[in-house]
Amino acid sequence: MTGVLLFVLSLPCVYDPAGIVGRATLGAAGIERLCTEADLARREALPAPGTTARAGLASPTRIPWIVANGWRFTRQPGTKYVYDVPAGTAALAAAEAFAYGADAALRIDPADVQSLGEMLRFLQALPSVDLPAVSDLAIVDDGSATTGEVMNLLARRNLLFEVVTAPSPRFRINITIGDPEYPREEAADPSAFALKIRRRLTDDQRALRVYGSEVVIGRLTADSGRARLHLINYGRREIEGLRIRLRGVYSGGVAHVAGAGPQPLQDRVVESGATEFSIPRLTSYAVIDLVAEPKR
Amino acid sequence: MHRRSFVRLLAAAPLARSFQVRSDTPALRVVSSYSPAATPGMPGRHPGHVVSVTSDRSVDTSTGAAHDDIVREMMARGMRALTGAGTTADAWRRFVEPSDVVGIKVNCGGYPHCVSAYEIVADVVRQLIGIGVPVSNIYVYERFQNQLDEVNYVPHLPHGVQIVAAERANRNVDNSGYDPATYLEAEFFGEEDTRSNMMRLVTRRLTKIINIPNMKDHGATGVTGCLKNIAYGSFSNVARTHQRGKSHTLSVVGALAAMEPLRSRTVLQIMDGLRGVWHGGPFARTTRYVFYPRQIMFATDPVAIDRLLLDIIEKERRAHGAMSIWDRSPGSLRMDDTRARDADPNVNIIIREPGHVEYAATLGLGVYDRARITVKELTV
Repeated sequence: MTGVLLFVLSLPCVYDPAGIVGRATLGAAGIERLCTEADLARREALPAPGTTARAGLASPTRIPWIVANGWRFTRQPGTKYVYDVPAGTAALAAAEAFAYGADAALRIDPADVQSLGEMLRFLQALPSVDLPAVSDLAIVDDGSATTGEVMNLLARRNLLFEVVTAPSPRFRINITIGDPEYPREEAADPSAFALKIRRRLTDDQRALRVYGSEVVIGRLTADSGRARLHLINYGRREIEGLRIRLRGVYSGGVAHVAGAGPQPLQDRVVESGATEFSIPRLTSYAVIDLVAEPKR
Repeated sequence: MHRRSFVRLLAAAPLARSFQVRSDTPALRVVSSYSPAATPGMPGRHPGHVVSVTSDRSVDTSTGAAHDDIVREMMARGMRALTGAGTTADAWRRFVEPSDVVGIKVNCGGYPHCVSAYEIVADVVRQLIGIGVPVSNIYVYERFQNQLDEVNYVPHLPHGVQIVAAERANRNVDNSGYDPATYLEAEFFGEEDTRSNMMRLVTRRLTKIINIPNMKDHGATGVTGCLKNIAYGSFSNVARTHQRGKSHTLSVVGALAAMEPLRSRTVLQIMDGLRGVWHGGPFARTTRYVFYPRQIMFATDPVAIDRLLLDIIEKERRAHGAMSIWDRSPGSLRMDDTRARDADPNVNIIIREPGHVEYAATLGLGVYDRARITVKELTV
């Protein structure tokens, strides 16, 4: 099911306190959008994206804990954000904000100027596409932290959701935390809760599946003629041969991979109303543009 | 050949089959476009038949070193006894033709003390070349390149033998060495990546496979023998089946081994029991749990060998006062605590599933009933 939330894709701005890096250096790296101290004061702070180990919950060798902000952008698309990111994560933060069309500022480590500049140039060069987000289910936002954490876990599992203020007839699954179907005490374990929702939805019915990694989160946008899939790799390693399954029939496409250029989609298969393909190489971020086959 | 250079074209449209063994086992969906051979390699031409060759002189137990000439003799005698052939070359010709592309599935997980022996692997290669298989059509394979690098078969093999892995290391980032159209799909613990794909080498290149496992204990499966080595060593993303004290290996080991084309192409099982591991497996980082059966078993039936292996590991554990591989008591479980497991042979980190061997028999992979297994014992 296709949602109605529209995002204006924008590049994040970069804060350079007291000109430590310098406008010339930033400019040479391709970083043109700078923000001021006053800009930052009005923004909501975000954690640095990536993966981390959390005792008892996940381990880096099995399923790492992903720190991702997509659910926040989806929940509050009008909010302005600021990342204060350690060295090595600025490019990923920029990609994450871009993927969700978030208005974000970046406070970065000077060591990241080059890699961030490369990412911004990549983002700037992408074909301009503005499509509505695709969602499999709706979640009624009561503004609570519990609901936020459920959104976080849904996003991490690539369970695409739309935030609504009341249950929507457009969706088979509407989650209202506190309803008999979705008790608040169950939501206290958001991971198990997200798994319950996944099983209710069924994997076959999901608009997006990712195989070959547990640390890639996707954002899918589409209309009847085309689709754009953003893939954000929160792990530190490149991934080879990531397999994607999208509900719907797509005849062709290309993957724009940050740092790697355009990549062909490999081993394409269409079966049971879904399209599968592999991406030869995924760095920290890729955008895949697809053309839908006309419905017969 | 580099793993990326395999042909990437997809085979014919895949066929899917879903099944669930029991209500307490997960639903499995098998997707493969490959048809079984007229006589699938497993259980092959000799179901329920095992040849066991033992030699006290095969390994110097004070150093762990194997004696190449004794091992060669054990190999020759075993192959002739299994097939009834008059010569060793004729024995090998029963399984492999010169036009075949042959994979040798080794086991490197027990480095440094218990891996597929250089002497056995080298003899297999020697025999294959001897019956006319081009050296460039012989592949020694494992899942992880870093393990192959550690074991380093290169100095022991003729130049030109291909040594191939699907992934650089066990990091879940290299998928290109696996076939996207041939996989088992199941969700065990809520993981997102629900597929285990067969290696491209197996589906696209090899026509025959020779399996060389070791005699080892295994924390999740009870033992790791023929079935576990060929199954978990030929598919991606399999560690997800066992964690947090629970193992789904009961059904998954057999289900993977039974998938085509792996089942049809795996024509020979050579169980390397020169050395063994009775606890802490599949690893052997210390000699503490290493023992020396000094034995090689030959069969086409992986279930029959693994049925014998269950008794071998159990007997050795009992001799050391260790708990049974069949023990399912929660009191001995220290979930995911590998240090405790390594320190104490009466600690389980997962409830083991040695029943995976019997389950594999229900898939037609071989004979589990001990009374129906014939063992021909030879001594060198």
